[in-house]
This record gives sequence, C-alpha cells and structure tokens, in this order.
Amino acid sequence: MSRVEGARKAIEIVKLNKWFGQFHVLKDIDLTVREREIYVICGPSGSGKSTLIRCINQLEHHQEGDILVDGVLVEKGGKNQETIRRTTGMVFQQFNLFPHLTVLENCTLTPTLGLGMPRAEAEELAMFHLKRVGIEDQALKYPLQLSGGQQQRVAIARSLCTRPKIMLFDEPTSALDPEMIKEVLDVMVELADSGMTMICVTHEMGFARQVADKILFMDQGEIVESGPPGEFFLNPRYDRTEQFLSHIL
Amino acid sequence: MAATEQTGSRSSTERTGPGRLLYDATVRAIFLQALTAALVVGLFAWLIYNTMVNLQERNLSAGFGFLDVSAGFGISFTLIPYEEGDTYLRVFFVGIANTLLVAAVSIALATIIGLFVGLARLSDNWIVAKLSRAYIELLRNTPLLLQIIAWFFGVFNLLPRPRDSVVMAEAFVLNNRGFYMPAPVPELGFGYVMAAFVVALLGAIALYRWEDARRDRTGKSFPAISTGLAMIVLVPLVVHLALGRPLSWDPPVLQGFNFVGGVSVPPAFCALIVALSAYTSAFIAEIVRSGIQSVSKGQLEAAGALNLPPTWTLRRVILPQALRVIIPPLISQYLNITKNSSLAIAIGFPDLVSVWMNTSLNQSGRAIPIVAMTMAFYCLVSLTVSLVMNSYNRRVQIKER
Amino acid sequence: MALVFESKPDRPPPRDETGLAVWVRRNLFRDVPNALMTLLGFYIAYVVVAAVLDWAIFNAVWEADTRRECLDAVGRSGACWPGVVEWLPNLVYGLYPKDAVWRINLGFLALVLWLIPLWMPRVKSKVAVGLTAVTLYPFLASYFFLGGDKGIVWSALISLGLSGLVWVWATTISERVTGQSIAELLGKTLAGGDNDVLQRRAVRGAGLVLFLAAYGLVSTWSLAEVRTQFWGGLFLTLVISGIGITFSLPAGILLALGRRSNLPVIAVLSTLFIELFRSVPLITILFMFNTMLPLFMPEGMEVNQLARAIVAVCLFAAAYMAEVIRGGLQAIPKGQYEAAASLGLGYWQTTTQVVLPQALKIMIPTIVGNFIGLFKDTTLVSIIGLFDLMNMARAVGEDTDWLGLFIEPFFVVSLTYFVFCFAMSSYSIRLEEKLSAGRER
Repeated sequence: MSRVEGARKAIEIVKLNKWFGQFHVLKDIDLTVREREIYVICGPSGSGKSTLIRCINQLEHHQEGDILVDGVLVEKGGKNQETIRRTTGMVFQQFNLFPHLTVLENCTLTPTLGLGMPRAEAEELAMFHLKRVGIEDQALKYPLQLSGGQQQRVAIARSLCTRPKIMLFDEPTSALDPEMIKEVLDVMVELADSGMTMICVTHEMGFARQVADKILFMDQGEIVESGPPGEFFLNPRYDRTEQFLSHIL
Repeated sequence: MAATEQTGSRSSTERTGPGRLLYDATVRAIFLQALTAALVVGLFAWLIYNTMVNLQERNLSAGFGFLDVSAGFGISFTLIPYEEGDTYLRVFFVGIANTLLVAAVSIALATIIGLFVGLARLSDNWIVAKLSRAYIELLRNTPLLLQIIAWFFGVFNLLPRPRDSVVMAEAFVLNNRGFYMPAPVPELGFGYVMAAFVVALLGAIALYRWEDARRDRTGKSFPAISTGLAMIVLVPLVVHLALGRPLSWDPPVLQGFNFVGGVSVPPAFCALIVALSAYTSAFIAEIVRSGIQSVSKGQLEAAGALNLPPTWTLRRVILPQALRVIIPPLISQYLNITKNSSLAIAIGFPDLVSVWMNTSLNQSGRAIPIVAMTMAFYCLVSLTVSLVMNSYNRRVQIKER
Repeated sequence: MALVFESKPDRPPPRDETGLAVWVRRNLFRDVPNALMTLLGFYIAYVVVAAVLDWAIFNAVWEADTRRECLDAVGRSGACWPGVVEWLPNLVYGLYPKDAVWRINLGFLALVLWLIPLWMPRVKSKVAVGLTAVTLYPFLASYFFLGGDKGIVWSALISLGLSGLVWVWATTISERVTGQSIAELLGKTLAGGDNDVLQRRAVRGAGLVLFLAAYGLVSTWSLAEVRTQFWGGLFLTLVISGIGITFSLPAGILLALGRRSNLPVIAVLSTLFIELFRSVPLITILFMFNTMLPLFMPEGMEVNQLARAIVAVCLFAAAYMAEVIRGGLQAIPKGQYEAAASLGLGYWQTTTQVVLPQALKIMIPTIVGNFIGLFKDTTLVSIIGLFDLMNMARAVGEDTDWLGLFIEPFFVVSLTYFVFCFAMSSYSIRLEEKLSAGRER
C-alpha cells in the first residue's frame, strides 16, 4: 500500500463546510494527509480547491467541521492561526513576494523578526534554501528584476526559511510562461523527494504522475474521487472525472 | 505584412516634385517652431510696448526702487517684527512669514486629521466608516473659499465679546478678538531642560539603532520605540521638576475691554487654519485610504502565511509600500495648502497676497515688480517641492527589469 | 461504465452566520472597543443631524421682515429663512433686471434641450451633438444673456447657434424614428435614389435654407443690453465655470501635446506656461489679470472685469487640464504608436484617431474631478469684486434688513455647491467603474 503506512497524520479534515455569504463553497470535505505524503488536488475553476488549502492555514475561516494540523485543532475564527501557520508554508499563484525588499530580505524577514534568529544565521539559512532552488546568485536583486519562474522559486525558498512541516501550493505554475514551469516543478519534485509533506493544487498532471501519492479531484465544492495516480488516470470512477481529464490531458 | 509595407511606402517623405519641400518633416518642424516662436515673441513685444506706453502715461516706473521706501501702513498680525515705518521689502517678508506660518500650522493639523479620518474610512465598523465618508464628501464638495468665509463670518466673528469669552482650563480664551493662549516664559535653568530634551531625543535614536543592531546579532527584540518615547517625555520632565520648574506661563488676562498677555492670534487666522486644515484633511484622508488599499491583499496573505508578526507586517510590509503611494500626492496637498493660504485675503488676514499683491500694490502702484515678486515666491516654493519630490520618487522607485 | 457524479445540494449557511443580527454583531459590536466606537459614532451622528434639523427646520423662522424679528422670536437657535427667501432671486440671477430674467431661463433651457439627446438611446450622432453644444451653443446663449446691438457677424453667429439647435433636434427625432440621420433622410427624400453628389447638394441646400430662416428670425429679435456688471449669483458662477470648462479641454489637449512634442521650441513654451500657471495660486492670476491687463492693452481699449476674470480662469484651468491629459497620454502603451506608425498614419492622424480617444477615455474620472475643482474655484472671482453665488450670499448679511445674516445663506449656497459637485463626482465614479469593468474583460 502507501509508502507512508502508519505515519502520523499531518492534516486531518472532518466534515468541513464553508460558505462565502450564501454560497456553499466546500461541502462535507473529509481528508487525511499523513506525514511525507504528497497530495495533488485538481478540478475545474470554482470547484473550491484553493479555498480548501487556504482553510488549512487559516487564510480562510471555515464554519463547520474540524481541521487538525500536525495534531492541533484549528479553532474557529482564526484564534490560534499563529500556531497553525508555524507548521505550514504556502506558495501562491501570484508569488506575492515583497517587491520593495531584496530576495535575501524577503527570505530573512520572518526568521529575524518572527522567529528571533540572529541576522547572520537567518542569512545563512536563506542562502541555503536559495541555493536549493538554484538562485543563490540573485540574492541581492529585487523580485521584479527576476523572471516569473525565478520569482516563484524565491517564494518557495522564502517559505522554506520558516521551517514548515507541511507545504501548501496554490496553483504555483498557473501564472508562469510554459518554459518556466519546468524549473518550478523541478524544485517541487526535489522537495517531495526530500520528504516534505505537500498539498499541491495544480493541473500539472506530469508532476502528479511523478510524485503524487494521491490525486484528489474536486468539483462543485466536493471531493469527487481520490486515488493513487495510476488508478486515477487509468480508471477514473466517475464520468465527471473522465470528462475533466479528457480536457486537460 | 505586405499590406502594411505597401502603405508604409506611400509615406510623405518619398514624394518628389515641387511639393516635396512642404512635406519634408524637418522643414515642416522648423517652420512650425519658427512660427510659434515668432507669434509668442510678437505677443510679448506687443504687450511690453503697450505696458511701456501705459506706464509712461501714468508716470509709473517698473523698477524695484520702491522697495527701500517706507510702506507707511500697519499690519494687523505679523510673525516677524514690523512697524509702520518699515520698508516695502520688509512688508514682503512679513507676508511671506505669515503665509508660511499659516501653511505650516495647517499642514500639521490637516495631516493628523487626514490620517485619522483615512484610517477610520477603512474601519470594519460600519458607522465609523460611514461617518468619515460623510466628513470627506461634505468638505471635498464645497468650495474652500466658502468654507473659510463661513468659518469666519459664521463662527469666529460671532463669538462673544472679550468680557463673555469662552475660557478653557483658565488658560485658553476664545472671543471675537481672537484666540489667546498662555505664553511660555523660560527662566534661569530652563536651558537645562531643553538640553535634557535634546539628550533624550538623541538617546532614543541611539537606543533604536542599538536595538536594531542587537536584534541582528542575537535575534532578540526589545520594545525600543515605546522605551524611546518614554525617555523623550520623562527625562526632560524629571529635570524640569528637579530644577524647581524653571518654566512659567504667562496666561492671558482680561484687562478692561480686552485680554492682555499670552500669545494671541486674530479670528481670521483661526478661521483660515480651521478651514484649510479641515478641507485639506478630507483630501489627505482619501490619499491615505487609497495608499493603504494599494497594498494588495496578496501581500498581506503572504505576510500572514509566513507568520510575520502583525506589528512587523505593518512596519516592514504595509507601510513601506503604502507610503510610496501616499507621499507624492501628500506633498502636492502640502503645496496646495501653501497656495490656498492666499485665500486669506477674503477675510483680511495679512498673508503675502493680501499685504503685498493687494495693499502694497494699491499703495505704490508698482504692479509689475510686485506681481513678479509674488509669482517668484510661489514658483520658488513649487520648484523646491518638486525637486524634493523627484528625488524621493527616484529613491523609492521599485526596481524592475 | 463510469459512475455519474451528482453533487450534493447546497445547504444554507448555519443560522449564526447570516441575518441582520450577525451583520450588526460583525460590523458594529465585534468586541468592546468596537462597540464603544459604534455608540460614540451613532451619538455623534445623532447630535449633528439633530442640531442641523432643529436649527434648519424645527426652530426656524419662516416669516419675518427683518433679522431683528427672527432674533426676537428664536434668538440664534433657529434659522431665519425669510432673508434668504427675499434674496433668492439675487442669489440665482444676481442683479439681472427682473423683467429680463426670462432670457437667462431661456438660455439654460436651450442648453438643456441641446444636451438631452446625449442621454437618449438610439441617437447615433452624440459626438456631433456634444461638439455643437460646445461650439455653437455659446453664440446663442451670449445673445440671450448679453443682448444689445448685434451687428452682422454676431447675428450670423447667433443664427448659426439657432440652426445648430434645430439640427440637433431634427437629427435626434430622425434617428430615433427612422434610424437615419437627418442628413441621410433629407438627401434621400429630396434627391431620391442613390446619387451621392445630388444628395450632398440637397443637404447643403437644406442647411443654407435653415441658416437663412434662422437669420431672418434672429434679425427680428431685439433684446436690450444687460451689462455684465449686473450679472451675478448662480448664473454668473455657471457662466464662468461653463466657459472655463469648455475652454480648458481643447486648450489643455493642445498644451499637453505641445509639452510632449519633439519640437523643442513648442515643448519648452508649453512646459513654461503649464508650470508657471500651476505653481502660483489662482488668486494671484486673477489679481494679475485684474490689475495688469489694463496695462497690457493698447490705450483706450477697455476689457471689462468679467472678461478679465474669465481669461484668468480659462488659462489657469487649461494648465491644470494639460497635466491631466498628459497623464493620460503617458498611459498609452508604446505599441499603440508603433501600430499607428506601421499603418502609415502621420502625427495628427495618430494623435486624433488613436492616442487621444484612448487617453481621454482613461482620464475621464480625473477630468471630471478637474471640472469639479474649477467649479469650486470660480468662487475666487468674488475676491476681485464679482458677485458670484458665494459673494451674493455674503451680501445678504450686509443688507440693512438682514444685517449679520450669514449662516443661513452660506448654508443654502454650500448645499447648492455640494449637490452640483457630489452629483458630478458620483457620476464620474460610476463611469470609472463602468470603464474599468470594460478593461478587465
């Protein structure tokens, strides 16, 4: 079975429901992600996949159901969001780098000001992760001086500098030109191989096939089906999944 | 592609024959410029000629000689010393000082009110947001001059006579002669208090720098800002008390029909300050609001996802980006306050335009030098401000490819 | 065979998530400080609204002959409206002769008639209607307002204005009924068939007939002259700001193009003009024109005070408008110029057909903002002695019967300005939203 059989649960979601006003975005979501597992979530736009991972690190607040992150129950209304966010890192579709700070400053911001790390140590940590994503030579440039792919790699490094246990990726390659997608995916593959727990909202099915333990397909706020990539691609159980796959493959 | 090239080849420069010269871009450019220059020069020559004739007719000279002549009129409120016998040049400087005083006070007040209202406009609280919106719309959509005059005739001029003054805390007095407040009278030893203040200020700056360096070294933080502020307040206070309070106040006192002592400003000054700062604060509030809203939601989400503490999110992420958007229009509002202070003339406050372009001009009849000097002052202010702004913009420009 | 996915039905959100009570809790009473602010806010709102209503309505005096009577009745706790009512004609029309006020009304009625088609659906010639309103209407209005001896040239211009109004409505009706402009309709009915040349001739002939008829009509008019000294109140405010607005847009466009021009002489002159007029206060420009224009003019040539003020306002407004338009021009991407150049368009073609329409469109909100500023700034003409709306309001308190009655007229006048400015700014915000929605798509 799974390569992580018996590992601790990194994330456990039970009967999660969320509304935007009157609109029911997430319906009875159940999901368990174990440590070192790689999940890929796909689905048409508006299916609630981004909202789901944004609920995990409390960028959105849910109304019903329970979310446990690294064994800690998420309290409603974001009351313990700081604790939750200490264990999670997030990478956004639009990078969201701080344009007025250099690449290095982007990476050392939270370590120095949030984690109380001496600057020298924070810079060492930042350079380690920048090297890992292959842009240590751009450390003193400003984000908007870099290409989209480079910016997204900086964003990944910046997130890693906060030493998360779980990485959340919200369509990390959707805003990139085709030739830059690979450089970002390579970094994500390396990260997956290193044993990071990851939940990725993405339509990069090649990436999913290569590293995912499980693929989730969402539509209209529900998880339609989930399964290991082989099964998922070869024998989708639902018509809706088949239809979606025929569009993107 | 072929179609474009074909159209392109029909361009005017390739025409031949006698019409060619007319269509040649360079020739046309020179001709157009020469024509414009000739028109402008001609217009000015005509105006100058007319002016010379008119001046001769009226026995006036256009020179600056009158500046040394005694102006011979009094000025109701002066920031720098002035007496009736002083020269016209002195009047010019009195006007400039008064204009700058009004501008400085209004800028300070407008900034504080504007910042407050702008933040209130973004409040989650429905009624607070709506009230500040109402404040902004009411003030922005009525003419400033009307507001100045309404404050003057409708409020400050209708205040009670000195005998029935509104007195606050037995020190601040408001009546139809103006606003009175106690004047500080430093005594022997007050210099030490001032010195203590300067030392505390420098100390606070040093503390802030030391804290920054220590945090870099050890990662530990320390509330340097609040400690520094406490120092700035407490150190001079302690010295002041220890030296037996070497600063006394000279309060305004009712004597006969009027108040004497203290510092006083006329009703026109009050009306001008209140109207200018209220009016401009509405614009500043909108600038503050749009500056803060210009920081995209993604930036805040990223700071949140990185678990950056809220105070640091404000200081390192929101403020640097918002200020970049806020400061240029804010400075141009400051410039507007300076220019709008010229409306003082409508309620008889002696600012530059009022004492110089109006009273002095009417008295001396030297329209040309007086108008030129007034314009030169405002141009100088604008030029300085735009130089400052350009260098600021260059400094904070986000580096892009 | 694949299973059919059926999504679960939507549920309404939990009860404690919606409804008025939740809204109130979220937006007014989230926590203790928030609740305190709410109470304070409502208290302030209540105090202000109650005070204004008490003063303006409940305690107000509506019938009195002098301010003394008002003061005796309610003191200062209530407004004294009779003074404002008595002065209302002056506040609106200034000192314009009472028996000639209909001319002002007629003039503004003509403007309204001219502008109505702009808001009517299915009218295609809106640009032409707008342009004629700006170029031809002033001739018509000038005669209504000013009157006096016409002369041949002015008569011709007035007739042109009158013909313009007739054309606007003829084409509006024709376009709404038949979908064709009046020129097309006339051409086809008069010349028949599809002979273009004949049709054009017929239209020109019809235009000439219209003009001659208008001229005949105009020459029978004889309105007594009302000198500008008697102009005042809201009327004067609208005239000055109307002229300023009409002048500032084309002049601002020219100055902005001049400043961006490749020709150094023109660029420098435009820049100098713009920077000079923008760096000094309007009041100094008004003063300058008021005191120096008589010096600048040849002997014996009198420029009346209203004209001096209008010249000052126009030049000032043009300089500000130039900077707004320059902002719009700078926002046009380089690709647009390159595309125009690749089509072989020259400078003027590129500017008028490609660049300017886009630049003006994106700057509409700012342009309207500038108009509002200009409208408010016209109050400054009161300082050089013209009796605009605001100065007229001040004059109420200097009338012996109503001595000291300042707050009431200022209140009414502020309200008037507020209604005008707020309407304009709301309109521009709506337009901005509409335009930015168009950009996103």
